[in-house]
Amino acid sequence: MRYNEKELQALSRQPAEMAAELGMRGPKKGSVAKRRLVKLVVNFLFYFRPDEAEPLGALLLERCRVAQEEPGGFSISFVEDLSRKYHFECCSQEQCQEWMEALRRARNEIRKMTGKDPLEQFGISEEARFQLNSLPRDEQTCTGSQLGVLD
Amino acid sequence: MKLNKRSVAHYALSDSPADHTGFLRTWGGPGTPPTPSGAGRRYWFVLKGNLLFSFESKESRAPLSLVVLEGCTVELAEAPVPEEFAFAIRFDAPGVRPHLLAADGQVAQEAWVKALSRASFGYMRLVVRELESQLQDARQSLALHRCVFQKSVTGCNKPQAPDRRAPGPENGHLFPRDRNSNGSVEERGSRPVGRDLTEWGLQGPASLLLSRGQSPVSPETSCFSTLHDWYGKEITELRRGWQQRAKGSQPESKQQSRP
Repeated sequence: MRYNEKELQALSRQPAEMAAELGMRGPKKGSVAKRRLVKLVVNFLFYFRPDEAEPLGALLLERCRVAQEEPGGFSISFVEDLSRKYHFECCSQEQCQEWMEALRRARNEIRKMTGKDPLEQFGISEEARFQLNSLPRDEQTCTGSQLGVLD
Repeated sequence: MKLNKRSVAHYALSDSPADHTGFLRTWGGPGTPPTPSGAGRRYWFVLKGNLLFSFESKESRAPLSLVVLEGCTVELAEAPVPEEFAFAIRFDAPGVRPHLLAADGQVAQEAWVKALSRASFGYMRLVVRELESQLQDARQSLALHRCVFQKSVTGCNKPQAPDRRAPGPENGHLFPRDRNSNGSVEERGSRPVGRDLTEWGLQGPASLLLSRGQSPVSPETSCFSTLHDWYGKEITELRRGWQQRAKGSQPESKQQSRP
């Protein structure tokens, strides 16, 4: 899957919702925690080597699950494979809490931006607003077999 | 740069609601060789929030490409082949070529330009903040005055005080226009409503809408489709202007062909 990497790199330089140096450990077994500058911009989480201008990588946060791990630590995983976790170590539980809340808000849905749904007050349901068809929203995991064509 | 492509593709394929879908022709996306006729390759496009995915076909099980729609503007464009309903996504980032796309017809073209213009997270955040602040102003006004649409409330002290633009004639708003100017937005060039809007470097449709001093929301607004129609006004005008320019160029070519 191609993507516009230059624009994404430019996005990583935009003002961030949250930015901090955290310990970060990838989902692969045996990976070691490293210090990373972690930056939340819109619905992407960028991570940099400290003092480097270009990001090492980005995580799109749609359909992610944010969970408390050990005290002061949280993880991000994705619906299609919840066992693959990106681990983050914070300096305090307060910081950890702040990050978890910010990450949960970092979605495309308006509700997440304001903390409340501005249109629900007028009786406009989410279904009427955004869906082009009447398919129900499916929170179930997608099976791994469909992803065989990737990578 | 790494990206969690597997998760991204999963999200693209999931039945999370799409903001817009349809067939579009595309030229020169990275790695896209041009067709012999120059007509552009036709792919199935899905817009979800600030993410534009393309697929070989509707039934594809993996996206071909992703365009992240932040820091960009969308405008009507000339296509390499005449009579295409083309538009371009232009990025602020230096050295990035615009993405050229074309729809199958005028209606589709306008719908796509509208959808893509509003796709960025920054734009949505701006709209939400603007709507919220106007809701708040309107509620305060209602509380203070019975006839809110007759009086102009000057009690709200905003740190920046630019000239207030008079409501423009293009307003397609269905609700009373002489709503108090308290909630109207400042001109482009001065500090916009909300201290961190400047951080987003808003350009294109967002700043245009803001700079008109028009208020899309009044206390009586209860219909989101009205808001959609209101924002659609700009696209209709853009198209009208484009068509006029296209017509205006024809007499010149006739003159040139005279001996």
